[in-house]
Amino acid sequence: MSAFNKPAMPLNRRHALMFMGANAWAMRPAWADAPGSAPGRLVLVFLRGAYDGISALVPHGDAQYYKLRPSIAIARPDGGASSALALDNLFGLHPAMAGLLPLWQQGVLAAIPGAGSPDSTRSHFDAQHHWETGLPGSSAAGAGWMNSLSKLYGKERSALGVGEANPQILAGPQAVQLVASGQAATRAGALADTRTREAILKMYAANPSLAQSAQAGADSRMQTAAMLTQAQTEAAMAAPPVAMASSAGSDSAIQQAANNGAPPAQGLALDAQNLGTLMGKNRQLRLGFLSAGGWDTHLNQGNTSGALANNLGSLSRALLQLRRHFSEPQDVVVVASEFGRTCAENGTRGTDHGHGNVMWLMGNAVAGGRWHGQWSGLAPGNLNEGRDLPVHHDFRAVFAHILAGTQGVAREDTERLFPGYRWDPRLDGLLRA
Amino acid sequence: MHNRHLHSRCRLAAIGVLLLVLGACAHAPGPGPRSQAGETAATASFDTSSMAARWRALNRLGYGPSPALLQSVQSAPDARLWAHAQLEAAWAASQQAPALPATLAEINLTLPQLFEGAKKEREARAAVTAASPVNEALPNDKRFDFSQPTEALHFNRTMVNKAVAWRLASCSNDSLENPLLARMTEFWFNHFNIYQNKGPVRPFGGHYALHVARAHALGKFEDLVLASAQHPAMLFYLDQWQSVDPQSARDNRGLNENYARELLELHTLGVHGGYTQDDVRALARVLTGWTISGQTAKGFQFVSRAHDAGTKTVLGQKYPASPLQAGQSEGEQAIRFLARQPATAKRIALRLAQYFVADTPPPDLLAALEARFLATGGDIRQVMQVLLDSPAFWASENRLFKTPYEFACTALHTVRAGEDRSKWVQAWGYAAVAGQPIHQWQTPDGYPFDSATWLAPEALTRRLDFALNIARNAPEWDALYPLLSPATRSAVLQQGAAQRLGFVLGSPEFMYK
Repeated sequence: MSAFNKPAMPLNRRHALMFMGANAWAMRPAWADAPGSAPGRLVLVFLRGAYDGISALVPHGDAQYYKLRPSIAIARPDGGASSALALDNLFGLHPAMAGLLPLWQQGVLAAIPGAGSPDSTRSHFDAQHHWETGLPGSSAAGAGWMNSLSKLYGKERSALGVGEANPQILAGPQAVQLVASGQAATRAGALADTRTREAILKMYAANPSLAQSAQAGADSRMQTAAMLTQAQTEAAMAAPPVAMASSAGSDSAIQQAANNGAPPAQGLALDAQNLGTLMGKNRQLRLGFLSAGGWDTHLNQGNTSGALANNLGSLSRALLQLRRHFSEPQDVVVVASEFGRTCAENGTRGTDHGHGNVMWLMGNAVAGGRWHGQWSGLAPGNLNEGRDLPVHHDFRAVFAHILAGTQGVAREDTERLFPGYRWDPRLDGLLRA
Repeated sequence: MHNRHLHSRCRLAAIGVLLLVLGACAHAPGPGPRSQAGETAATASFDTSSMAARWRALNRLGYGPSPALLQSVQSAPDARLWAHAQLEAAWAASQQAPALPATLAEINLTLPQLFEGAKKEREARAAVTAASPVNEALPNDKRFDFSQPTEALHFNRTMVNKAVAWRLASCSNDSLENPLLARMTEFWFNHFNIYQNKGPVRPFGGHYALHVARAHALGKFEDLVLASAQHPAMLFYLDQWQSVDPQSARDNRGLNENYARELLELHTLGVHGGYTQDDVRALARVLTGWTISGQTAKGFQFVSRAHDAGTKTVLGQKYPASPLQAGQSEGEQAIRFLARQPATAKRIALRLAQYFVADTPPPDLLAALEARFLATGGDIRQVMQVLLDSPAFWASENRLFKTPYEFACTALHTVRAGEDRSKWVQAWGYAAVAGQPIHQWQTPDGYPFDSATWLAPEALTRRLDFALNIARNAPEWDALYPLLSPATRSAVLQQGAAQRLGFVLGSPEFMYK
C-alpha cells in the first residue's frame, strides 16, 4: 500500500499523502493502541421513519402497555420465543433481538427509554433534519453535526457514511468518506483507470465543484475498494483450508471465509461490516454513520413476527456485526430514530407519529445491562399530549455525554456543536467511570 | 471551528454561478442572457435566441437532445417561443392517451382489471406447494423483457417493472412522449410520491403515473390532489384505505392519520403552513370512509358506514357544513379548500421553481408564480407560462445539477436507447445505486432536486461509471460538438471513437440542466 510497491500508479501529491497517512498509522507502535490511549470512535445507526421503540424495549411491567396495544404488544416474558426477553421487572427485549441479550448481560448494551428531540414536530423530514443538524426547531439549511465534529477532529477525513448517497448529518464543508451500500462498495469504478481519470479531470478543469468531487470520489473509491478487497482476502487466507479447498478462489468462498463460516452478511449487516472494516483499517476515521429505512409502521406492524419484527432482526444482526468491529475501550455505537410512535396502537394495527423514543448505546465504556434516565410510565396523564412517550432527555445531551466521556471532545465544544442544548446531569451514570 | 459554517449548498451555488458564466459564454454564439439578479420579472429583458438558451430549454423542459429535438430547438425563432410551444404541446398530449408500447400496455389496464390481476396472483400463490416453490429469481437481463405474457404468479412484480420501463421509455424517447410532459409527470409523481414496492401498491404505480401525474400534469392543481387522494396507489401507500371511524368498526379498527398528515405537510400547505396536530386528526376524521374498491372504475369508494359523521373543524372550516350534508363531499371540499390556500400556492411555486429554475429561486419569481397560482385557481399550465417568461428561468447564473433520474433519462435519450432493454437495465441500476431508485423512494416527501444532495464525490463517480458504460461503442454524434465548451470538445476528441459519446455524457454540459 506504500508508494514504493505501487510504482505503476503515478500518484499525485494528494494520493501520496493519503496512502502515506494510512501507512503511517499501520506502522504505529503497538503501545499506541493500548487500551485507554486510543481515542474513541462513534457510530450512529439511524432508523429513518420513526421506529417503534417500545416494541424493541418492551415495557412489559407496565399493564397500561397491554391496554394500549391489544393486538401489537409483545407478550410478557414467559421464557418462550414469542414473548419479550426479560431485562428487568419493567422492560424486556423484542424476541427478534435475542442476539443482543448477551450484550445486555455482559453490561455493554444500555437503553434510554425517554429520549428524543425537544421539538414537537411529527414530520419525519423536519425531525430528521433537526437530528442531523443538531438544531431542533430549525428548518434552515446547515451542516450536519457529524460533519462539523469531523472538522474538529482535524484536516484528515474522519467521518464515514455507508449506504446513503449524501446524508444530511455528514453534509457540510468538511470532506467525508461516503461508500456505497452492499457489494458495490468493493468496486473502484471507471476513474480507477489513470488515463480516464486524468482525462475527466482535465475536462472539468474550468469547473472546480465537478473537478473536486470527481477527484475526491475517485480517491475514496479506490481506497475503499482496496481496503475491502484486502480484508476479504485476508479473511480468506485465515480461513480453514478445507473451506478453501472446496471452492478455491471463488468469490463466494472468499465471502464465506470472510465471515468465518457464518452466512455472508446481508443488507444492513453487510453495510455494518464494511463500515467496521474501513474504520478498522483507516484509523483516521472516527465517526461512522449507517441508516436503515422502513420503520414507519402505520399499518399491521405485527408483534413477535411481521414487518417490524423483521426490521428489528436485521437491526440486531447489524449491531452484532458492529460489536465485532467496535469493541475497543472508548468505542460507542448509538441507535436512534427521529421520534417515537404513539403508545396506543391506531385503528389499523399500527402506530402513528409520536414524540419520545428509546435510544440504544453499545460499547465497553457504556454502563450497560441497565436502562438510564427517567421513565414515567404509560398512564395517559404521563404521556406527551396524551398519546406519546415524553422526551425526558434531549438527544443532544446524550451525544454530548458520549463525546465528552469517550471521544475526547471538550464540554465547550459540545456546546458549540449543539447550540442551546443543556448538559443533562441525570445522564451522568450513562458511561462507566 | 464551530463558527457557523457556510453550508455546502451556498458554496456549491456560488461556484455554480461562476462556472455557468464561463461555460455558457464559452459556446454561446450570440450575446448571453443579460438579466441580473435583482431585476424584476415584469421589467427584465433577456435574450433567448442564443444557443445557450436553446440548450437550456432542451435540458430543462426535457431530458437532453435527440436529433429531432435538437433540430427543432435550433430552427425555432427563439428558445422562449419554442418553450411555450412545448408547453402547449405537452398540455395537448396530457389530454390524450399515452402512446404506450404494446409490451407496456398492461400498466394502463382498468383499475378493476389491475385489482383482478393482483387477486389472481394471490390465488396462484395460495395454490403453490412446498414441493415446487415459486422461482422468485429475476435476472437483470430479464427485468425489462416482456416478450412473454405476464405470469399470474408474477403479476405484481411485472407491473412494477413495466411501470419503471415506461418511466424510462417516456423520458428518453420524444417520439413516444412529449419531453415536457415526461418532466411534469416526474415532477408530480414525486410531489405526490408513492413507493411502488409497498405490497398492495405494486400493481398500480404505472396507472398512477399515467392517470394522476400525467393526466393532470398541466391542469388544475386541486383536480390533481383529488385524483391522487382517490387513487388506489395513494390509498394503499399512506394507509388511508383502512382509516375508519372507530365507533363504526366491529374489529377494533379506527383512525389512521398517516395520509391526512402528509396531505397537509407535503401535498398542500407545507410543514409550516399553519396547521396543528388537531387539524391533522380532524382531517383524518373527515376522510374516514375513503377507501379502495376493486369494482369501481376509479378504484375508489366512499363507505359511509365507516365515516365519522361527527362535527370536525379543519383550519377553521367546519365539517359537515350543514347537518344535512355529510359523507364523501366533506373530504372533497376539504381537499379543494386546502389546494387553494395561499400556503399551498407558496409551496407549489417553490417546488416548481426549484425543479425548473434554481436550488434557491429568486423571491420575485416565487411571488409571480404564487400570484398566478392564486389568480387562476391553481392552473398549472398558466403557472408554467409565468415561469417560462421569467428572466430567472433563462438566467445563466441559475444553475441546476441533474438528479440521477434526470441524468439516466438524458443518457438514454442521448445514446438513442429506444427500446434497448439492456440500456434500460443500466439506467435503472444507475438510478438505484445513485440513491434515486425509480418508483422506489420510500418516503412521501419525494426526492430533493438540489445539488447539495446529488453533487457529492461518491455519487459523481457512480454517474461517470454509468455514463462511460452506457455509451461505450455508441456511434459518435458530432452534431453535439458545437454545443460543447472548447475544454470539453478537446477532452472528447482525445478519446477513441468508441469512448467519445461517454465523455460527452460525462461533460459539465450534460451534468447540468
